[in-house]
Amino acid sequence: MTKSRITRRGALKTSLMTAALAGTASFFGPWQKNRVWAQGKKPIKLGLTCDASGQYGNSGQDDLRGMRLAIDEFNAKGGVLGRKVEWITADTETNPATGTRVAERFIAQEQCGFLIGALHSGVANAITQVANKYGTIYMNTNSSAPSEAGENCSRVKFVWDGNGTNFSKAAVANAVQKIGKKWLLLTNDYVWGHTTAAATKLEVEKAGGQIVDNLLVPQNTRDFTAYLLKVQQIKPDVIAMAIGGDDIKALRQQIAELKLEDKAAWINNQQDWPDIWGVPETLFGVFGTNWYHKLALPGVPEFVKRWQTTYPQSPIPVPGNVSYNGYMATRELLRVIEQTGSTNNIALIKALEGRKMGAVDRMQNYDAYIDPVTHQIQQTIYLAKRNPKPVDNTDLFEVLSWTTPEAALDTASFTTCKLKPFADVPTYEQ
Amino acid sequence: MGLLPHLVNGFALGLLFALIALGFMLILGLMEQINLAHGSLFALGAYFAYAIATPRLPLPPDMLQVWAAVPLGWRFTAAMLLAPVLVAPFGVVLERLMRRTYGRDPLYGLLLTFGVAMVIEELIRIVWGTRDYTLPVPRGISGGFMMLDLIWSTYRFWAAGFAIIAMAIVWLVIERTRFGALVKAGAHDSEIVQALGHDLERLRVWVFVLGTMMAAVAGVILAPVWGIRPHMGVDAVIPAFVIIVLGGVGSFWGAVLGGILVGMVVGLSGAYASEWSMLSMYLLLILVVTFRSRGLFGKKSVLEA
Repeated sequence: MTKSRITRRGALKTSLMTAALAGTASFFGPWQKNRVWAQGKKPIKLGLTCDASGQYGNSGQDDLRGMRLAIDEFNAKGGVLGRKVEWITADTETNPATGTRVAERFIAQEQCGFLIGALHSGVANAITQVANKYGTIYMNTNSSAPSEAGENCSRVKFVWDGNGTNFSKAAVANAVQKIGKKWLLLTNDYVWGHTTAAATKLEVEKAGGQIVDNLLVPQNTRDFTAYLLKVQQIKPDVIAMAIGGDDIKALRQQIAELKLEDKAAWINNQQDWPDIWGVPETLFGVFGTNWYHKLALPGVPEFVKRWQTTYPQSPIPVPGNVSYNGYMATRELLRVIEQTGSTNNIALIKALEGRKMGAVDRMQNYDAYIDPVTHQIQQTIYLAKRNPKPVDNTDLFEVLSWTTPEAALDTASFTTCKLKPFADVPTYEQ
Repeated sequence: MGLLPHLVNGFALGLLFALIALGFMLILGLMEQINLAHGSLFALGAYFAYAIATPRLPLPPDMLQVWAAVPLGWRFTAAMLLAPVLVAPFGVVLERLMRRTYGRDPLYGLLLTFGVAMVIEELIRIVWGTRDYTLPVPRGISGGFMMLDLIWSTYRFWAAGFAIIAMAIVWLVIERTRFGALVKAGAHDSEIVQALGHDLERLRVWVFVLGTMMAAVAGVILAPVWGIRPHMGVDAVIPAFVIIVLGGVGSFWGAVLGGILVGMVVGLSGAYASEWSMLSMYLLLILVVTFRSRGLFGKKSVLEA
C-alpha cells in the first residue's frame, strides 16, 4: 500500500500550476470571447471617434454633428429598446496612434458598445484593429480608401462612404474619352491617397489612357508651388487628385490664384463638403460626392431644416456628405438595434449584412445596400462641378451625373476582403 | 525637366521660411528661451489681419461700412501694420509669465510656452470658430505672371521681397542700434549689464515684443498662401525650430541661411522626390548636426547646460 502525503513543496507546486493554468485559460479559453454588461435600462453607449484637430479636424466635427442629430432623434422618441442613447467623443487628432488610444479607452474603460467615426483611413484602420480585438461593432463613417472595405475590411466594421474606386468608376472612363489620355496623379501620401490612385490608374488604363506621373503629396503640405510648376512642365490632359482635408484647401487656393484651373482638366476623386465650405471661392474641376444638400429628392429639405435647427451656430451652415454619412451610419445602427431587439454584436452584424436601404429613406437617387461580402455601403455616386447659377451662397454644386451602385461597384474588394468567421468574433451585449 | 524653376522656387520658399524663423530666432538667440507659442502668435497675426482686411472688426455698423469702402490695398496695408501691434500685448503677457522660468531648467519655459500655445489656439477657436478663412490680397500683388515659360504666383515673390526687407530691419535693430547692443550684452552677461544701470527686465520685454511682432508679421504674410485656420501655428513652429537648430542657436545669419537651405531642399524634393518633401528638412538637419553639432553658425548656449 502506498502512502500519499501532502508535503509543503507539493502543495506549492500544485497551487502554482493551477494558477498558471487558470491564467493561461483566461487568455486562451473559450470564455475570452464573452463580455456581458449589465442589462436592464442601462443606457446604450456610443463612442464617437471624431477628429477635432489635424488635417481632418473640421470634417471630424461635421461628422459628429450628423451622428449627434441621429442620436437626438432617437432619444426624443424615448431612446432605443426603452434605453437612452448616450455618447462620448474624443479628438482622434487625424492620427492613427491617437485613434488606437481613443478606441481602446472607449471600449475598455468607458464601456462603449459601439464605435462610430473617422475621416482618415489610417485612423479608421487603427480603430478597426482595436474593435476587432473586442468584437465591437465599428461604423466607419467617412474614410473612403478602397482598402477599408478591401484588405483592411473586418467582420465588425461597416464602411459608409463611397470609396476611391467607386468615384473613379463614375468619372474616369468618360473623362478619358472626352478630355484626353495623358493623366497625371496628385496623391496624398497615405493609405487613402495610395489606394485611390491605384484605383484611378486601373480605370485610366482600362479606358485606354496613360498615367504620366504620380506626384505624392505628404500630409500637411502647405506650399504646393513645386507641384504646380511640375504640373505645368508635364502638361497633362487631366490631373486626377486624391488630396483631402486642409491640404486640398491650400492646394485649391494656390491653383485658383494662378488661374491654372483652366489649363488642364482637374478631377478630384471626392470633395468633402467641409473642405469645400472652407474656401468655396476656389472650387473648380469635376469631383465626386455621395450626397448634396440641394438634391431634388424627397426628404432632403426636411433633413436640412432639422440639421440647421439643431445647429444654428454651426460654422458650416448646411449638412454635407460628411455629416450625412455620420447621420446615416448612426441612424442605421440604432434602427438595427431596435429591430433586432438586442445589442448582441453577432445578431446585429448579421442584421446589418445585406441590409437594404431605400432610395427615399437615404435621400439618394438609387436604393442602397450593405454588401455582405465587404461590409461597404453600395450607394449612388454623384459627380459634380461648380454651380454657375447658385440660388444661394451654399448652392455650390451643379450635379452632373448620378451613377448606380452596380455601375460604381468596387469589384476588386470582393477578392481582397476576407471577413473572419463569426466563430472568431468575440461576442458581447451591452 | 528644367531645374532652374525649382531652384528659383526653393530660394523664394527659403526666404519665407527664414521670415517665419526670425521671431523665433530673436527670442531664442537673445534670451535663450524656446518659445513654442511662436506658431500660435503667427496664427494670431493672420487672424487679426483677416479681421482688419475683410473687414470683420468689432466696430459700430456705420464705421464698419466706411472701412469696408476703403480699397483693399489700404486695408491690407493697415492689416500688415496693425496686426503685429495687436499681437504684441500677447508677447508682453507671455514674457511676464516666463519670468519665473529664467535661469531654471529650459524645460520649464518649454512647457509654459507649450501651454500658452494651446490656450491661444483655443481662444482663436472661441473667437473665430473652427472654419477656414482666406486673407484677400490686393489686385496689384495677386494672380500670376509668366517667367521661364511657366505661371508663377506674383504674391509669393512679393512676400519673398518683403521677407528680405523684414530681415534687413531686424538685422539693423540687432547690429546697428544701442538697443541691440544692450540686448546682446544682456544675453552674454546679464549681471554686468544690470550693474551698469540698465533695466534688463524692460529689455527682455522689448525683445519678446519684437519676437512676437515678427511672428505676427510672418503670419500675415503667409496667410494668403497657406490659408487661415486655428491650428496653422503648428505648420510654422516646426520649420522654425528646424531652421534655428540648423542655422545655429543665436545666429541671425544662421537663421537666414537655414531658412534658405530648408526652402531649397523642400522645393527641390517637392519637384523630384515629392514624397520626401516634408521629410527632407529633417534629413538636412540630421546631416548638418552630424558634422556641426551646434548648427552652421551656432555658439555655446545655456540650453546646452
